[in-house]
Amino acid sequence: MHPPTQRSAGPSIVAQGLRKSFVSGEVPIKVLDGVSISIAAGELTLISGPSGCGKSTLLSLLSGLQKPDAGSVEVWGSDITRLSQKALQRFRLEHTGFLFQGFNLFGALSSLEQVQLPLGYLGLSDREARARAEQALEEVAMAHRAHSRPAQLSGGEKQRVAIARALAKRPQLLFADEPTSALDGENGQNIVNILHRVAREHGTTVLCVSHDPRLIRNADRVLAMEDGQIGREWRPAHDMQSARAADSQGIQHEA
Amino acid sequence: MISLARKSLRHEWRKFLPAILALSFSGLLLIAQAALVLGIFGSAAVYVTASSADLWVGYPGTKSVSFGRTLSPDLAMRLRMDPDIRAVESYIWVDGDWRGKARQQGAVSVYVSGIDTRAEAMMFSRVLPAALRARLREPGAVVVDPADLDQLGAHVGGSAWINGQPVQVVGVISGLRALGGVNVLTSLDNARLLDSTTSPADSATYFVAQLRTPGSLAKVRARIQANPAFGAFELWSAKEFASRSQHYWLFDTGAGVAVFFMAIIVCLVGAVITSQSLLALVVASAREYATLNALGVSFQSLARVLVEQSMWVGAIGLLIGGLLSAALLSLAALHGVPVSMSVPVALLCAVLVLALAFVSGLLATRGLWRADPAMLLR
Repeated sequence: MHPPTQRSAGPSIVAQGLRKSFVSGEVPIKVLDGVSISIAAGELTLISGPSGCGKSTLLSLLSGLQKPDAGSVEVWGSDITRLSQKALQRFRLEHTGFLFQGFNLFGALSSLEQVQLPLGYLGLSDREARARAEQALEEVAMAHRAHSRPAQLSGGEKQRVAIARALAKRPQLLFADEPTSALDGENGQNIVNILHRVAREHGTTVLCVSHDPRLIRNADRVLAMEDGQIGREWRPAHDMQSARAADSQGIQHEA
Repeated sequence: MISLARKSLRHEWRKFLPAILALSFSGLLLIAQAALVLGIFGSAAVYVTASSADLWVGYPGTKSVSFGRTLSPDLAMRLRMDPDIRAVESYIWVDGDWRGKARQQGAVSVYVSGIDTRAEAMMFSRVLPAALRARLREPGAVVVDPADLDQLGAHVGGSAWINGQPVQVVGVISGLRALGGVNVLTSLDNARLLDSTTSPADSATYFVAQLRTPGSLAKVRARIQANPAFGAFELWSAKEFASRSQHYWLFDTGAGVAVFFMAIIVCLVGAVITSQSLLALVVASAREYATLNALGVSFQSLARVLVEQSMWVGAIGLLIGGLLSAALLSLAALHGVPVSMSVPVALLCAVLVLALAFVSGLLATRGLWRADPAMLLR
């Protein structure tokens, strides 16, 4: 599977008719009920909705962490639901980055080593991995804490290290699950800005699941989910511009 | 490549301590057990290993030195006539009852070894100094191990009775302790006096001999055993006869099965404790491992990290266990406990400890099943 070499305006992920249910006790619970969605590269797409609406499950299917009961997930035209477990791991290794609500950093490793660790599995040399890790830490303004261990870092700093770990692989797809929910206002805003910048500057497909209003404001595109289906969809910046335009028109009109 | 295994071990060594100690103690138990087995069962062959004879001639089918029977003196003649044999001497084994001076003390079973007292004699030449050997010529003179003095109620210079005959302890030497009784050295003449059975004069329980050239044993054996005129006998090399005696005690008495059984229990308990404490560590870091898997690091690679980690734990455990064992064994040897260790057996124990670590590491990879990246999404 190969991502397009040039930044294209077309969607990088296209999902059709995704269904997924879980069995709780003896009762099957339908989590996703025929969800179809396409996600574009170079922008921050946000899936928002109340807890239990199925947004995290959708993220796990789109990122290849789980397989759907029915439906397809095409990434750059290839269906990843047909890949074997091994091929799926390879796909994740080469193309995806992940951010989770918990930062999940190894207590024994310094920030630099946390970022360097997955790069070794990509087959990078030690020197190359170190250079990339340093660059990634710099990108999230954590170069000064490169030799600190998680116990010496604040929550916001840990999440920035986790972002650097995801970014150092230079993934074309970045998935984030409630990345700001454990962080205070300023740190949360910081993470939002980084995600936004990654999408814009690297042309990365950034798909984020959250109910954090800060993220909703800063997303390029928001998909509201409810009861296992995508409901409303809007573009906050666009809407704001329209609103601003409408406001200014109104003022002119009044004048 | 960042070694997660070594980094974790260095910075979170406290978490690994239970596993390291479990392996250290498994190693210590295995080594201590092996040393005791070697020490105790090695003493079953002390008559052979403390002597410089190349070949032993005894009653056919004798399973252990202590089970010898009387041989005809003609046999010694036949041995002396062989061109490849340099020296022959008699060795007499007498089972005795030792009674001390104190009336209230009961009898102690002793194994009397009647040996040649010439300076160049072979029997016990590795432990018995020439001067003390010469003193055995005195009537009733005996030598025992200092660790057995208490049991015998004796002291150097003191007297006692064996099979009703008076004896006197003329000296002590270490390295004589026996299995199931007390070894007592005396001269051939003294031993014949202590022997209550009526054996013909010049007969012996064993004849031991030295070869002119070390490699000629097979030739000698073929020549001597071909002639049935000298009664029933069998000929062994010293090495064969020593291991025959040890094998008898280890395998024919059931002691070996008990030792083997104990070793299995040690390994089993060691593996359970080690794998459980390693498993707890894996489960505690399940979210971190799951994140690596989400980033595409395969379960096989993660399992390799765990096995590498357990092998390091094994190596450190082995080092600690080895040092503890060395200290314990020297302490035991200092107090006269029969312990002994050989390089092959020590290596076998080391390999067992590392195998334990390896198996425990493999068992601990079960914890990775909990490291499903889907669990990180909520």
